[in-house]
Amino acid sequence: MNVLIVEDEARIAKRIERMTRDIFGDNLQSLRQIDTLHEALKFIKNNPLDLLLLDLNLNGENGFDLLTSAISGSFHTIIISAYKDQAITAFEYGVLDFVSKPFNQSRLQQAFNRVIHKEKLDTNEAKLLAVKKRGRIQLLPVKEVVYIKGAGAYTELFMVDGTKELHDKSLDKLEQLLSHTFERIHKSYLVKMSEVRKILVQSGSKYLAELKNGTQIPIGRTKYKDLKEKWF
Amino acid sequence: MQRLYYCFGIGFLLLMMSSCSQSSEPVFKRYRTVFQIGDQEEWADKNLDDRNWLRRPKLIPDGQVFWSRTRIDILKAPEALQPYGLQLVAYGEYEVFWDGVLIGENGNPGREAELPPEGELWITFSIPTHLTDEGEHMLALRLSNYYYPDHVGGYGLEIDDYEDLVTDRLIETSYMHIFAGAFLIAAVYYLFLFLSSKKEYPMLVFSTSCFLFFLLIMTRFVRTAFPIHYSLHVVRLEVISSLMFGISFLIPLYFSMQFPFPRRKLILCIYAGVLMYFFIINHHFFDFTIYNMAICLWLLSLSISLYGIYKKAKGALLVLLTLLPCLFIRYSVSFNISLFAGFSLILLSMLYLLSIRIKEQRLAYENSLVQSTRLRLELLKKNIQPHFLMNTLTSLIDWVEEAPKKGVLFIEALAKEFDLFNQIENQTLIPIAQEIALCRTHLEIMAYRKEINYSWEEEGIDPAEKVPPAILHTLLENGITHSLPPDDNRIRFKLFFESRSDCKSYTFLTFAAGISQATGREEGTGLKYVRARLTESYDSKWNFTSGPADHGWKSVIKIYS
Repeated sequence: MNVLIVEDEARIAKRIERMTRDIFGDNLQSLRQIDTLHEALKFIKNNPLDLLLLDLNLNGENGFDLLTSAISGSFHTIIISAYKDQAITAFEYGVLDFVSKPFNQSRLQQAFNRVIHKEKLDTNEAKLLAVKKRGRIQLLPVKEVVYIKGAGAYTELFMVDGTKELHDKSLDKLEQLLSHTFERIHKSYLVKMSEVRKILVQSGSKYLAELKNGTQIPIGRTKYKDLKEKWF
Repeated sequence: MQRLYYCFGIGFLLLMMSSCSQSSEPVFKRYRTVFQIGDQEEWADKNLDDRNWLRRPKLIPDGQVFWSRTRIDILKAPEALQPYGLQLVAYGEYEVFWDGVLIGENGNPGREAELPPEGELWITFSIPTHLTDEGEHMLALRLSNYYYPDHVGGYGLEIDDYEDLVTDRLIETSYMHIFAGAFLIAAVYYLFLFLSSKKEYPMLVFSTSCFLFFLLIMTRFVRTAFPIHYSLHVVRLEVISSLMFGISFLIPLYFSMQFPFPRRKLILCIYAGVLMYFFIINHHFFDFTIYNMAICLWLLSLSISLYGIYKKAKGALLVLLTLLPCLFIRYSVSFNISLFAGFSLILLSMLYLLSIRIKEQRLAYENSLVQSTRLRLELLKKNIQPHFLMNTLTSLIDWVEEAPKKGVLFIEALAKEFDLFNQIENQTLIPIAQEIALCRTHLEIMAYRKEINYSWEEEGIDPAEKVPPAILHTLLENGITHSLPPDDNRIRFKLFFESRSDCKSYTFLTFAAGISQATGREEGTGLKYVRARLTESYDSKWNFTSGPADHGWKSVIKIYS
């Protein structure tokens, strides 16, 4: 696990660092603490990262700038902030958790559990997905995504208007963030359930989900049972 | 709402004007008056041949008795039991003969030198009904003019229903007295307002104008209440034209205060000179003098209001719209009535301007109250806003968990800062020593949070000086937030104080490695707070600059004396 702490309050940064080491133990490969936005951005660009712990108010500057580029990355982001009122916006941006200050180790543990155990978010409100496009970051509304296809470490987002966007996060990570509307019906597919028109059963226990736009997506044999239980 | 009152006022005025200027068909026709020096009883006769009498004698000295005869045609006989009255305005003491019959006396003609003045200038006699049939009649006066021997002739004469003649004057006077009373109250009210809010000179000028106008009305109509002997008439006219002089100067002066223009004093001096000129030349043609002064007043006021409109001053258009009808009034009713109506309109527009100004002042005052409350809240918020409070508490928890003894010191520093904030919370100026104590405590807290060595230096501080609360604290906060420590992990702050004859200045320096992307940043709430506090305490007599410097950051506050 590679973790980056972005926090400009030295004492708090140390606290987060200490607790992070405690919680991850040997699973921690690297841990870095940075206190400016500028350097943090540089670090994210050049180093592999699994988890970003971000304070939204750094040296009087708005951390949402960093957040926008952070959420387009392949790693998960957890916000640790004094401003509780920013939580809703942060979740809309697709952060994994929002830890408000002051915090203790068990609250941090709870947040990290989402990373360790890949827990799905039940109260998730992610409304935007950030994608890198020609060197710039674009925010796509989640409601315009029909389904997502895993492509190695990346994912492909299939949009309502028929276009396709590339996202840096893995299908597993997106599943975690989008579980309130999307369902993993196949190891390579995440589908918005409101877009499914019908389930087709074919010979040899092959199942297909037909979407409103006519696309047919295979349903994994093991997933079908769960789906049936949950949706039918 | 003010406009409504204004319209109401004008409506009332027009109503009064219409009631004052009622007129009906005349019931008589007057022919030329002829004079003869001497004293013969038969000169009262209706049928006397007076063809060789004098047209208008220039001078009849020593109170000699002389006679005047005026032929009058009665066009319409009076109704039964409603005798006609004869209203006379003539210089001198006299006896009145109608068709040879003595119908009245006004003083003691021919004996003025021996006896005290008697009789009045405006007087009404009743004519017996049997002498006012339709047709030709003769009004003969046996007069003497001891006091103004060169003012013979030119009598004012009116014949109408006796009761009407007497009561009309009373009604007119009673209206005018109500009117005068309104202006007297306005004068007193605004005088009191002026006394309670010094320096509001427009109020004083308005109050004085109202008072002079009140006196003008009273002097003009004093004749109804007090009989005025013809010898005192000039005194009354002198008083009236002097009052006019005062009003004619004060009204443009008032407008010039409301709509200030360049070279105000010079123009007003020239104007006073012009008024004085008109006051002096032909001084005894009182109507002429008054008319000229009124025209000057009108012209200058009009120019000022036009300038006001050009400068987009509030209320200037209304003043212009009030001045223009005055011209119309002047040519549609008698000069006397137009004078009063015009002045009333102008005074109303002045009142309107005053009410606009009072409203503006009230709004400004309310605004300043709101602003003070807002600043107070902002000050209170400094310690409970989440960035400060939650970060502090998080660090504090960490200190307590990791090094409880240090944690206690941290809590003490925090307690001290809260205590200092409580002390200054409701003040607009605090001793500089208190402000510095606040800064030092804040640094102590921040040192626990950021684990940076902060140091505070000061130079030339005068402990007796006062500053608005938490302005240095705000600059310090900004310095902490936006600075990065150099390699030695040390950030220095330094405060200089300098007192010169024209201003006092505080220079606040931050010595740090880097200021995080501070350039091009919008002015933060912190700097707005500093500016608002300075405005609250020093109005516009201050200057505040804040910008990057070689060593870090530099802020300068100058307070002018």
